[in-house]
Amino acid sequence: MKSSQRGRWSRYSSRTFYLFVSPWILGFLFLTIAPLIYALLVSFTNFDGISQHWQWIGLANYIELLHASDTWFSLGRTLLYMIITIPLSIAGGLGLAVLLSQRLRVVGLFRSIFYLPSIVPIVATAIMWKLIFDRDVGALNAIIERLGGSPVTWLIDPTVFYALIIMVLWGLGGGMIISLAGLQGIPQELSEAAIVDGANAWQVFYKVTLPLLSPVLFFQVITGVIYSLQTFIQPLLLAESNGATTTSSVPSSNFFYMVNVYQQFLYNQRFGYGSALLWVLFALILAFTLLVFRSGTFWVYYEVDSEQ
Amino acid sequence: MQFSWKKQTYKPIGKRQLNVTWQYIVLMVLAFVFIAPFLWLINTALKDTSELAAYPIHWLPTVAQWNNFAQSFTVINFPAYAANSLVLASMYATLITLSSSLVGFGFARLRGRGKRSLLLIMLSTLMLPSILTVIPTYVLFARLNLIDTYWPWVLWGLASSPFHVFLFRQFFSAIPLALEEAAIIDGCSYFRMYCQIFLPLSFPVIATSFILSFTWVWGDYITPSLFLSQNNTTLAVAMSLGYTDGHGNILTNVLAAGSVLYVLPVLLIFVFAQRYFVRGIVTSGVRG
Repeated sequence: MKSSQRGRWSRYSSRTFYLFVSPWILGFLFLTIAPLIYALLVSFTNFDGISQHWQWIGLANYIELLHASDTWFSLGRTLLYMIITIPLSIAGGLGLAVLLSQRLRVVGLFRSIFYLPSIVPIVATAIMWKLIFDRDVGALNAIIERLGGSPVTWLIDPTVFYALIIMVLWGLGGGMIISLAGLQGIPQELSEAAIVDGANAWQVFYKVTLPLLSPVLFFQVITGVIYSLQTFIQPLLLAESNGATTTSSVPSSNFFYMVNVYQQFLYNQRFGYGSALLWVLFALILAFTLLVFRSGTFWVYYEVDSEQ
Repeated sequence: MQFSWKKQTYKPIGKRQLNVTWQYIVLMVLAFVFIAPFLWLINTALKDTSELAAYPIHWLPTVAQWNNFAQSFTVINFPAYAANSLVLASMYATLITLSSSLVGFGFARLRGRGKRSLLLIMLSTLMLPSILTVIPTYVLFARLNLIDTYWPWVLWGLASSPFHVFLFRQFFSAIPLALEEAAIIDGCSYFRMYCQIFLPLSFPVIATSFILSFTWVWGDYITPSLFLSQNNTTLAVAMSLGYTDGHGNILTNVLAAGSVLYVLPVLLIFVFAQRYFVRGIVTSGVRG
């Protein structure tokens, strides 16, 4: 009797479990998997969004994108952007976190100030930085003119690339909070023990703090790779334009992979080709993430008996 | 810049004092750099058009032009777009909080076949770049005539979001099993348990989830610009395009004034609910 009761209970529990998680399961199937599969199917066609007769053209889109100079150029710019911003933002965030983990007064206020930019809406961020870098009304040129220089047009090639990087680095407060939380999770006894053993501040940082913080930094590298490869709103909004946001106004040094995808979809109406580009990006992000995960075994320190 | 860890305690007092002074100076300079864009935005918002045209660049407005703020309300229909943003953001935030708490409860408290692998799939979708699905969803929804309606946000809200589910799961998992067992012995169903015991306990997570999703929609640019037409769109999109005179020239000071009003709600939420933002980001950071 008892085992059948238990069976009934576990059936009830299982049914309830699926009832509770059904919003996510349905959403996952219809709003994540379905669009992805749809894009995959469309990527083998010449669909343009309007005309009814579109055909299966096999791998033609993929072959075309491999031969398109836009693909390689935009990918190169994106990778360059990724290689510059990830280390700078992680190191900057970590630096601020270390500064803010000292025993100082009003640390909370500074923490808020550094964190604030990362929650400012992207449109407002772009407007603020356009005003900083603007040729005629910008703060940067105001300083240059005060020092006797002549105004510079920053938001064009090649300087707009650096403007973009500065704008993105302004939001490194999110990483700072994560590093700060990581620092607070490190037991003080460890660094104190190292100091008693005669280690100086730098040695404590390199030999104790950094290894213990590596899982947190590792997480930031992973999310950094995923985010920077899909960057395109920032370049789009930073582009000089007269009341219209278009990909054609994006200077070539900010012509990132996703800018190209967006252009193919929305301005050239090449849904098939755009979908192929999207799936290649998907594969690239997957490959890069796996690569970083693999590299993790060499530099990420996990305490052996933390779990399992 | 002198780096010092806990070593400070071992230094003579005078040297430590100097160190602290330096740290304050560094922090203050950095804080100014981080705040500068806000200050320049407000400064620009208060300038007169002729001051903006001046060469060399005028530093401060001679007379603060509060009229720019009034203009930012009329050049585009600011109140209407703000209402759109408000409706869309609160609707989405309510739905996503509700659905994510349900799913989070399921993953934290219930047992079912395949739960482990489902959880694993869900957590791996956290890494799925959102843009991959947004554009195909747009193409798909265009064929279903869902473009220029708020239905996509309703659907996304109902579908819950892995990140918010994760927040709730972590919180619900930490609640002692004894509470659940007592409720079961009293004949309480899981749904009642969720409504009457777990949900009331989870105010901090509800607040985090609501605030994060609300500010997300308020700040989102790409989704409304794809899915909504010029009239129904949110403030974020309307603002980035609309502040021009009849000839397509940007009205810089009015745009700046509009931007100040646009970020103000987010700043206020941040001031009063900072810990909820921090909770969200910390939970996401330590999962790795």
